[in-house]
Amino acid sequence: MAEPILRTRALGKTYFGRVDTPVLFDVSIEVARGGFTALIGPSGSGKSTLLNCLGLLDPPTAGEIEFDGRVIAERNVNALAGFRNEHIGFVFQFHYLLPEFNALENVLLPLWIDGGRPSPEKRREALRIMERIGVAECRGKAVYELSGGQQQRVAIARAMINRPQVIFADEPTGNLDRESGQAVLGLMAELNREIGITLVMVTHDREVALQADHIYELVDGRICRHFDVRREGRAAVAEAIEDRSCSLGR
Amino acid sequence: MSPVRNRYEWMIALRFLVRGRGQTLLIVLGIAVGVAVQFFLSALISGLQTSLIERTVGAAPHLLVLPAERRARTGPGPAGSPPRDTGRLLHDEWTEIHSWSQYVLDLRRDPRVLRAAPVANGQGFIERGGAVVAVTVKGLTAPDGLDTYRIRARTVAGTPELTSDSVLLGRNIARRLTLEVGDKLTLRNDRGGRLFLRVGAIYDLGSAAGNDLVVAALDRVRSFFAMQGVSAVEVQVSDVFAADRVARDYGRQYERVRLQPWQENNRELLAGLRSQSVSSVTIQFFVIVSISLAIASVLGIAAVQKQRQLGILKAIGTTDRSASRIFVIQGLLLGSVGSLLGLALGLLLGYGFVAGTGAAFGLELSVHTLLTPIVLALVAAVVASTLPARRARRLSPIEVIRNG
Repeated sequence: MAEPILRTRALGKTYFGRVDTPVLFDVSIEVARGGFTALIGPSGSGKSTLLNCLGLLDPPTAGEIEFDGRVIAERNVNALAGFRNEHIGFVFQFHYLLPEFNALENVLLPLWIDGGRPSPEKRREALRIMERIGVAECRGKAVYELSGGQQQRVAIARAMINRPQVIFADEPTGNLDRESGQAVLGLMAELNREIGITLVMVTHDREVALQADHIYELVDGRICRHFDVRREGRAAVAEAIEDRSCSLGR
Repeated sequence: MSPVRNRYEWMIALRFLVRGRGQTLLIVLGIAVGVAVQFFLSALISGLQTSLIERTVGAAPHLLVLPAERRARTGPGPAGSPPRDTGRLLHDEWTEIHSWSQYVLDLRRDPRVLRAAPVANGQGFIERGGAVVAVTVKGLTAPDGLDTYRIRARTVAGTPELTSDSVLLGRNIARRLTLEVGDKLTLRNDRGGRLFLRVGAIYDLGSAAGNDLVVAALDRVRSFFAMQGVSAVEVQVSDVFAADRVARDYGRQYERVRLQPWQENNRELLAGLRSQSVSSVTIQFFVIVSISLAIASVLGIAAVQKQRQLGILKAIGTTDRSASRIFVIQGLLLGSVGSLLGLALGLLLGYGFVAGTGAAFGLELSVHTLLTPIVLALVAAVVASTLPARRARRLSPIEVIRNG
């Protein structure tokens, strides 16, 4: 594997409160540059928390994250916000578009945050991305006028506008009907293949996971299994996921 | 980065406000009404005060330099007569200022002083066609003496010049004695003195006391009353409220005269004005408090309503500082739009009031009355927005993302 874009060492996360809740333990994974990595596992296994840690949204409480060869020692939330703006795109289960802005404006928001009013060139690029994703005709529409699938595509366009190195997606099809879900997934896989954007996706859908190059399965906050789909073969992995439930004692 | 430079914060703040237009409209109207009341009150009250002051001292001396013993002599009864020199009871040196020219020169050099002029006052009679009218005679100099009473500006007939045989009459006296410009008259005093004069001009000072005045050249009046000095030096200062300070300053230097600022004889008026100002400031203070509370509550609600948006914005790169600035900017926008609207409303209200009630005074539109409510509303808006701004700053994107 080429130098991974993301690597974690003994990552841990505990939510401190009246009762401390440990969520992640000793997670060490690698995310291949330009690859598609899926995080799977039962509800509450910590896959979303891991994704948010990897996406530098939620600081880990133990271990370290290396992003593109740099150890992220930064704890300053504002510096991290700038880093996310430049290098990371997010697509969540809920579209999380801002209802105050129309579709095109939502796509342009990361550019605004980065440096003020986007240039005409950047606007054209935003339209190209929207066209590529099939939502160009929605550009002037209000968010609530869009279908669920369109909203999620606009969110993907927004995640892509700053040409991020990695897009993190948390159940991006979780709120869509099967057909739109398939379309959105197909689109993300395509973008991953064609443009080479690294894709890290949380999903509980094994069909979806099987499209990935690497699959990490979490159980109770620990990495339980790792599949290299290309090396092991899709069919074998599918069978392995299907048949044997992962137990940590394995 | 300053809030002015980072335009996206403004854009988002504006969108948040436009999106919640019902709320925005309400709060803008709230601010506008507050500013209108403030502006209306202060413009009206300063207009009223200015008009009262103007009527009191606009065409009168602000400060009198009087003989030192004058006060003792104005006491009741003949007991106040000075013990010596009974032959010149009314006009002795106790009642006059002999070295008046020194005081006039002194005072004119003071930059706070507009004009200082010697005057000679006395009582006399005018006889005409069998009628005898008692008048107050005032000897003045031109132009300062005349200008203190604005006689030149308020002349309604003739030419207001002080030649040796001219007399300037108030409108009341002229009417009572059916005198017109050019007519001759004889002025007499109680010691048998006579002065033959010709009516040079008739003026209208707008007050009964002023229009009962007979004005002639200072030197003629002095000799008419056999005065060695003058009765007083009358002073006008540029800031009428500084008259007592000027009086205090010179009172320390001058031992043989007494300085009497206009405030001394108008204590009730001044107390009235002061309590009016205090009550208007009190009302304005509470208006400001209620504006601030309204802004704080509306923006506070907005900060909760927009949590989701703020979380997303932070996830895609908005810093904590920008997030809080978005709310301060909203406060600024609400404050400025509201206060401009309020100013328009206040002007409308004010002119409506003045026109509707036929008030004898106008609104006073000074930089102070215009800017104070605006500045106060802006400051209140920004201060009130700090709480929601802090909430926005503290919000962690992960809270929103995790809770959906």
